[in-house]
Amino acid sequence: MQKSKRVTRRQFLKGSVGAAAAFTIVPRHVLAGSGQTPPSEKFGGALIGCGGRGNGTFGGLGPDVEKLAICDVKFVKHADNKKVYTDFRRVLERKDIDVVAIATHPGWHALISIAAMEAGKDVLCEKPMTRFIAEGRAVAEAEKRYNRIFQIGTYGRFGRSRSQGDILTHKIMKSGLLKPCKGVHIKRGGLKVREWSGMVNVKPQPIPETLDWDMYCGPAPLRPYHPHRFGGTHRGYWDYEGGGLADMGQHHFDPVQWTFAKDDTSPVEIEAFAPPAHPEACGMWGWVELKYADGLTFVMDSTEWPENQKPSYNRKESRGVSLSDLSEEDQKKIKEIPDPEPLVGFPEAIRTRKQAGGHAAAAHRCATILHLANIAIRMGRKIQYDPVKEEIIGDEEANRLVNQPMRAPWHL
Amino acid sequence: MSEPSSALVRLVNQMPDPDQRGMYCTDIDKEKIEGAIRSILKGGRDNIIGVIDMLVEPGKGDDVKAHYALHCMALHVCKVDNDRPRRRFARTLASQIGGDRPKEVQKYLIQQLQVAGGKEAVEALGGVLVDEELCEPAAQALAAIGEGAAEQLSKALSRVSGKCRLTILQNLGVVRASESVDALKKAVSDEDEAVRMTAVWALANIGDADSAKMLVSTADKSDGWERIQATKACLLLAERLGAAGKKTEAVRIYKHLRDTRTKSAERYVSDAAKTGLAAID
Repeated sequence: MQKSKRVTRRQFLKGSVGAAAAFTIVPRHVLAGSGQTPPSEKFGGALIGCGGRGNGTFGGLGPDVEKLAICDVKFVKHADNKKVYTDFRRVLERKDIDVVAIATHPGWHALISIAAMEAGKDVLCEKPMTRFIAEGRAVAEAEKRYNRIFQIGTYGRFGRSRSQGDILTHKIMKSGLLKPCKGVHIKRGGLKVREWSGMVNVKPQPIPETLDWDMYCGPAPLRPYHPHRFGGTHRGYWDYEGGGLADMGQHHFDPVQWTFAKDDTSPVEIEAFAPPAHPEACGMWGWVELKYADGLTFVMDSTEWPENQKPSYNRKESRGVSLSDLSEEDQKKIKEIPDPEPLVGFPEAIRTRKQAGGHAAAAHRCATILHLANIAIRMGRKIQYDPVKEEIIGDEEANRLVNQPMRAPWHL
Repeated sequence: MSEPSSALVRLVNQMPDPDQRGMYCTDIDKEKIEGAIRSILKGGRDNIIGVIDMLVEPGKGDDVKAHYALHCMALHVCKVDNDRPRRRFARTLASQIGGDRPKEVQKYLIQQLQVAGGKEAVEALGGVLVDEELCEPAAQALAAIGEGAAEQLSKALSRVSGKCRLTILQNLGVVRASESVDALKKAVSDEDEAVRMTAVWALANIGDADSAKMLVSTADKSDGWERIQATKACLLLAERLGAAGKKTEAVRIYKHLRDTRTKSAERYVSDAAKTGLAAID
């Protein structure tokens, strides 16, 4: 285990050192020059998962985080367990690491996020947040239990929260005055269905010497190695993710969810048009319709079914939500509601200890939209969901995809 | 193993061919697939066995269509209102594990039982918990099925070691098998860290009040990853006990963590314990 005498920013502010020295802190510009953050105000950071999204995700931690460690299962020949690691547990043991950026495949996102918060770290986790619904609830519980900062790696909601049109919709929906809600939001295309499908005829290949394949698979079944299961193409396998729908879906629906004030609930009725799913490889689907209890409907139209690239969904038209949907009396009530507080970005959140705008509970609800869509696709039938118990109603087999067993020693 | 009938081969061949990238992205005819699956299932046990006979180990031949067809069958039998086809399907798959089929094929059958199996498959799954290559999927399928899983896992525990033991200990925690508390307590002092930590978590998840002292002591004397995980188990146990109305025991754990984790690096644990205490009051 790494032992560092370095005093981290959090220890400085919250611990005994900070209590004694808080009034004598030297202004940052004196120590570090114009525009520079002095070392005493830096957070110690680690990047876990150093693939294509690694550095981009780490950048989201902000300028005041110093990269002290990198970790990836592909560093078997390079790891020194000082700066370069293959096992995230050794990174999380370090007391000089305050924040971690997680950019592994999504099958690891929840477990590493939870473990990091259990170790007292704040977390910025690449999207999609999770591989299945129960993981997201466990991350949100860890965030709450340990009072840590969590931010999902998608930022569209921050722009929405500054847009007057979106703020008005948010207030109308949040008020609960619009019942039933006739709003329909349709996402056509852009979910990379073909691009991020999996191969159905993979032949086992030798595991590269630099790769810890067992650790890569982690909680998922230990399959024979194939390069298509590794790197960006992992997205096409249920073991690690949920295809383009789950991956790109969080980018699209996270801001939409904020606009429609659905951060604390989930759809109740989900129906999909898709052929029977392959057991391992994510594949084609036509459309998915998800309806909330108040009537609001989200639709995903792949536009990749069949081959003509045309929209295949024609059950409902797009329809926004507006003040005119309400009575005059209710319109007045909406106008009296103050605007929501601006969302807090991760760099500010770790300094102020305010909840981040893309916090775990909200990110989990967005991931749930995508998981429910995929469950409807995979089960081939309409499902009813209880957003409070977070269970599919009356469908035992579908519930097995809500909370999936993991390979020991990994568990929620 | 007999040759599948030509009629069955024709039906399985109606499953799509992989495209040039090896994917199911083109020429996917939903109705044709579903129609063929219905026809295969009409042939009952013989056809189910016939499809299983077409499965091979990865890399040892082409079973892409049979592999897909069997999963489609698992999905289909879960979809129909009548539970009998599902039970028949699950019983047939269960009858084909534990024998001399290749282990990778058996793994796949077990994974399909995780999709569509019920209590009718539990005993067969329990029988392969002692098999090093099959224990992981079997334990996971049992945990997914739930009913009857604890009994099978408990029964197998004394007959296994290594990876199988770790897997079974974990899944005893998953299914919250209170009858296994004694065995889990023994595992807390195992020489293998993974076993120790799995047992500590399982006891916490089960919510065993008598384990509180043991868990707190384990957390106090360990360091690094083990300390982090044992501390998590203490907080989890306190939550479970609080939810079960055993407030005195929960408060004792919270107060201990509140009062002992006061150094800056662990103050967040003390704070978490304070929050837990406040929730109980």
